[in-house]
Amino acid sequence: MSFIELKNVCKKYDKTDKNAVTDFNLAIEEKEFIAFVGPSGCGKSTTLRMIAGFEEISSGELYIDGKKMNEVAPMGRGISMVFQNYALYPHMTVEKNISYGLKNMKVPADEIKKKVDWAVKILGLEEYRYRKPKNLSGGQRQRVALGRAIVKEQKVFLMDEPLSNLDAKLRVSMRNEISKLHRELGSTTIYVTHDQVEAMTMADRIVIMRDGVVQQTGEPMELYEHPCNKFVAGFIGSPQMNFYYVKVERDGITFSDGKSAKLPDEVMAKLQGRNRVIMGIRGEDIKFDSQNLDLYKDTRQQSVIDNTEIMGNENNLYFEFGGIISVARVSKYEVSKIGDVVDFVMMPQKMHFFDEETERAIF
Amino acid sequence: MLTKKQKRNNWILVVVMIAVSLFFLFPVIWMLANSFKPDAAITDDMNSFAAFIPPALNGNFFDNYIKILTNTSFVRYMVNTLFYAAVLIVLGIIVNGLAGYALAKIKFPFRERWLMIIMLLMIVPMETIITIHFLFIAKLGLLNTVIGYILPMIVNPFNIFLFRQVFVSLPDDVYEAAQLDHCSPIKYFFTMVLPMSKSVVATVSVFTFLNVWNDYLWPSLVFTSGDLLTAQIGLNAITSNDNTTMGQKLAVITMITVPVIIIYSLFSKQIVEGVVSTGSKEG
Repeated sequence: MSFIELKNVCKKYDKTDKNAVTDFNLAIEEKEFIAFVGPSGCGKSTTLRMIAGFEEISSGELYIDGKKMNEVAPMGRGISMVFQNYALYPHMTVEKNISYGLKNMKVPADEIKKKVDWAVKILGLEEYRYRKPKNLSGGQRQRVALGRAIVKEQKVFLMDEPLSNLDAKLRVSMRNEISKLHRELGSTTIYVTHDQVEAMTMADRIVIMRDGVVQQTGEPMELYEHPCNKFVAGFIGSPQMNFYYVKVERDGITFSDGKSAKLPDEVMAKLQGRNRVIMGIRGEDIKFDSQNLDLYKDTRQQSVIDNTEIMGNENNLYFEFGGIISVARVSKYEVSKIGDVVDFVMMPQKMHFFDEETERAIF
Repeated sequence: MLTKKQKRNNWILVVVMIAVSLFFLFPVIWMLANSFKPDAAITDDMNSFAAFIPPALNGNFFDNYIKILTNTSFVRYMVNTLFYAAVLIVLGIIVNGLAGYALAKIKFPFRERWLMIIMLLMIVPMETIITIHFLFIAKLGLLNTVIGYILPMIVNPFNIFLFRQVFVSLPDDVYEAAQLDHCSPIKYFFTMVLPMSKSVVATVSVFTFLNVWNDYLWPSLVFTSGDLLTAQIGLNAITSNDNTTMGQKLAVITMITVPVIIIYSLFSKQIVEGVVSTGSKEG
């Protein structure tokens, strides 16, 4: 049995007829870092709160370390948690915030001191030890919340969008700190976020949810390379994957604006028997350089640059094609200006195809 | 910069405010000034401006006060009242605070209805239910006891409402964090909820003190023995005694009024904050 197991876990709130979470199944190994990701309202926080014990599990089973936890109170589940709004005790100093749980757990005073010393040291909070939360910045507060969670040395670490209140720069550095902390402590971590970048960069495995239903579970690159449906394909990756509604022809596809592309036989073989499909391609798989233009000349197209986003390390080019505003990601050396007429190719082996009705991946 | 017209208007406002405050203050000043005078001086000064000016400081200056404090049990009545107030503040915060917390944060059937009922109780005048209180306490055989006096005073719908309004805005995740920190609900109330709501605790304490200090009707019904009387009852007993001089009466009234004025001026900020926050923090 895995360390944490969720079996057909459902959440249904009173007075609603739709499930907030439906048939959530997941097995989490010890020391794994799992991210629940999805748009707001997808049920990721609800699932986390069910694991914590703050929400009742309507049906299904939850096991932590082999014990069924459905009816166990939060404090008996061996978990600690970091909350989105920090949830610090406002009238207590940093030190008291961190030691409060240990005191309640009747840990001896000298041991508490040792643990608090250790926590404030690794979190860089030494000089703020006697300050109250209101005199700390957002990042410092979040560190206190982390400190409060790590000193208890619980087996499971739950984090509910811990970085969403921080500014972009701080978020990146805290992301690294949390990853490092996870490696050092080796606790099993479940991390909820709506930010796919956080999920991709930190997690061993990602669970993507939508409308209370798990869409796909897998390692970050697996989700990126092999999304199981259009939603996952669109959610993971930035800029978003381009989706075209295309007609399958004998030897290629026709876009809704009438342009067509010839595709290799092995791709066409998989599309056999289909009439209309959704073709998805990521921005970095649209190429503008002469070598690729030559290599994939069967898919060669032309368009006018509509808008550009200069990121510094790379550029996003926007242009109208196939009935949508498409986006391509190019290196900083490939400079195009608004209004430029450009030729480009789409790499056929990087194309994703989805059923038009079910939006499931065809391959 | 203020224009000339605004400046003039400000001055008019200041003058009007001073006049109005004097109008309200003059009985208090008169009381204070005359509480230091022998009766003869009070009568002599009555028709002149001297009625508002205290006598020159001499050996007899505090005579009225000394007589009251030595010849009557007024000190004891004041100590009684302070004791009742202290007990009622502590019990009131616990009982009304817990009720307010339940109404704000704990889910139970008909919670909103309960809140409505408690709020309706706020509009019932004390005088209409005091007979019931009296009969109840009499049936329990608690007349002329401290418990009999305190028991019906603990629960206060207005204070429950005040607590509820403040507690409703406390973040739920702090409670959840405390749960994971092995904090029991009762411990959470005392170590988290109350310290996080200091201003409403201060407001309720001040209101409770003033309530106990100024109450006349209920202690006059419950208490018959001189040992347990409150300051207000004592005041009545002393002022209605024919042997008490006018100056002594004024001294007693001064002693009972001054704490209220001090409390109000010390805590006016908290009182306003507490009441204002209960209205605006809802959400």
